[in-house]
Amino acid sequence: MDCVFELKDVVFAYQQKAEPILNGFSLEIERGVRTSILGCNGAGKTTFFNTLTGVNKPQSGEVLFNGNPVEYTKKGLMDLRSNVAVVLQNPDEQIFCSLVEEDIAFGPLNIGLDREEVERRVDRALKDVRLIGLNRRPLQQLSGGQRKRVAIAGALAMQPDILIMDEPTAGLDPQAAVEVMELAEKMSLRGVTVLISTHDIDLAYKWAETTNVFRNGAVAFRGNGDEFYSDIDNVYSCGLLAPSIFTMNKDVSAIKGMDPAPYPHNMCEITAKFGGSKKSGKLYLVPAEVENAVSKYEEIVKDAKDSTVGIYGSEVRFELQDKDIEFMFEGLDYCFTQAVKGKDTILIYDSIYAPTIQRQIDRLKEFGFDADTEVVG
Amino acid sequence: MSNAVLEADNVFYSYSRKGVKVLNGMCIDVPKGKKTALLGCNGAGKSTLFSVLNALYEPDDGKVLYNDKPLTYKHKDIIKMRTDVSILFQNPNDMIFKPYVEQDVAFGPENLKLSKEEVEARVSEALFTVGMEKYRKFPIMKLSYGQRKRVTLAGVLAMRPSVLIMDEPTAGLDPQMAYEVMEIAEQLNASGVTVIMSSHDTDLTYSWSDEIRVLHGGQCMYSGVPEPFYSDHKKVQTAGLIRPSVFMMNKALHDLGRCELEPYPKTQTQLSVKISDCRDRNFGTLHILVAEIDTDIAKSLEDAGLTGVHSGIYGLSARLAADATGYQPNYRYNGPENCTMKCLSGEDAVLVCDSRMVDLAKSSADFINNNGYGKIDVKTI
Repeated sequence: MDCVFELKDVVFAYQQKAEPILNGFSLEIERGVRTSILGCNGAGKTTFFNTLTGVNKPQSGEVLFNGNPVEYTKKGLMDLRSNVAVVLQNPDEQIFCSLVEEDIAFGPLNIGLDREEVERRVDRALKDVRLIGLNRRPLQQLSGGQRKRVAIAGALAMQPDILIMDEPTAGLDPQAAVEVMELAEKMSLRGVTVLISTHDIDLAYKWAETTNVFRNGAVAFRGNGDEFYSDIDNVYSCGLLAPSIFTMNKDVSAIKGMDPAPYPHNMCEITAKFGGSKKSGKLYLVPAEVENAVSKYEEIVKDAKDSTVGIYGSEVRFELQDKDIEFMFEGLDYCFTQAVKGKDTILIYDSIYAPTIQRQIDRLKEFGFDADTEVVG
Repeated sequence: MSNAVLEADNVFYSYSRKGVKVLNGMCIDVPKGKKTALLGCNGAGKSTLFSVLNALYEPDDGKVLYNDKPLTYKHKDIIKMRTDVSILFQNPNDMIFKPYVEQDVAFGPENLKLSKEEVEARVSEALFTVGMEKYRKFPIMKLSYGQRKRVTLAGVLAMRPSVLIMDEPTAGLDPQMAYEVMEIAEQLNASGVTVIMSSHDTDLTYSWSDEIRVLHGGQCMYSGVPEPFYSDHKKVQTAGLIRPSVFMMNKALHDLGRCELEPYPKTQTQLSVKISDCRDRNFGTLHILVAEIDTDIAKSLEDAGLTGVHSGIYGLSARLAADATGYQPNYRYNGPENCTMKCLSGEDAVLVCDSRMVDLAKSSADFINNNGYGKIDVKTI
């Protein structure tokens, strides 16, 4: 297994005589895998993150980064932190400067990059979090959700190999939360290893490939979420509940005498499993860029008048925000659900997400559904 | 006589004289005895509205009516109103006043000039309700965020309000604690308290609330039951919201011709029932064992011949009775839903339930029985 981090028997306490928060903690984080960290308040999630970034030096045990032990020297830590970026739950804890662009540039300047490179990175990060035009805005004039995006942009500007997000959607309104998760997906597609800790089990279940559950400073489970939630007593003892889509699948499968596997993780999959029409609706897939989003939209709605439209990706969404689009958010899941329902539909997306869409097509095949797709343009 | 316990009538409010009007002609009511969800994106004016309804802020223009009478903002009247209308802020650290748990919970009642015994009784009851009795003498500093949230909730309950305002009550809580807070809100409402709660979680509020109020740009853009609002995607998008997944899945099933659109399922169980379409099957019986604090659950179950039947738990007195005797149910959380599903799969289930919560506990079974999705016998013991 190719691991970015390996922790072996790590023991860490905040004070010498205090009870350790991490107590014989061993965990591997696989490169490029969407990884969720779950556990109740006080399970050790934040302490674990601070151990990955070298803020906490374990009293005993080993932390390997890319196969080598972390060196707790200035150079060693600098090296670690230029590769591992963290977005804290509360953005105000990681905002250092008064203007948006200064704050985003803070990290890159600190690792000694030249001015042009820093500027290039700041522009790209602002574009990724959709804060273009707010470069010179004082941070105190931004809303909580916007400040969160500045904090994320600051992390992205480091161009990290590993992105850690602690409760990325907490306090965000639903639309902002959808966009943050799209961003996490985009980072994965660029090869970044993304770790998310959250109390939102529905969201984590939908998103993660590997689920890690902490309890009392140790790893209580590591593996596939479907397996974890199947043992409900263990779920309860970890302070968690099962995601609603998992429970629904389990219950309905039991009543219908069906195998709970394959496990649906979103709406289109559960609809395909329990009630999809045999014949797929036509799903037009329209990859687009900022420059051509509007023209592509206008062209496709002319050709396929009666189809509903969905959006995936914040760049295209920003360009089409004034249009009357039924599924402006969560377009991927909704459009595939339309197809499952036998209805024609159009999904317009930032072109980077092509692999995400292919993944959904493949997933639906496991549920015996062949989506009738056509890539346009 | 209107049905509103609190009402804002064309209220304007801004934080500074030339600042943005955070409330910009707000007209909204809080219906008496109901569960109302307040929705809207960041910056829509939810928290400001709450502070205005609780007379923390006086409107620049417009009126706030409490039980149909305009607030006067005289010290005496405000104090009187606040003994009746309590607010739970999002961040517990904003509302902790004293170093120790019991002092903090007693703070409000003491201010009401109640007798020592009365304060004592209320503090005990409130700490009981939130499950923090053990921590009575604890310094609040040593408590976790979730525990502090419960202490502040206890402080609010000790005021015995008839209206409870909750600002993002589940934010930052882990799933079990969030569930418990929602159950407490249900319990209070079942005993007659009007509850209004703001939340970003549209799934959670959809299953919980009787009605919704949607804020946008400092005004109320929708008021009523949720379904007509969520059926209008343009409105939902403007408000910065996302449609609840239960609502969308029901729509998907309907479009597939698998079921009627109405009745709208509110919970995952009700949706599962519609998906399963299992009306021709044999169903189990849902036994509801009404438990008081001193009920010996294991013995009562034995007396009723229900030992070994799948069991769930719901409501305060049932939880306390279970804790006191070390009784372990199969379903500690979502008891009513899990037990109803068990019955659907053809097995019996027993729900150990607080006497005030029986109607709520039956609601999913009623949904099934009243709409012809099947017949689950409900026996109350």
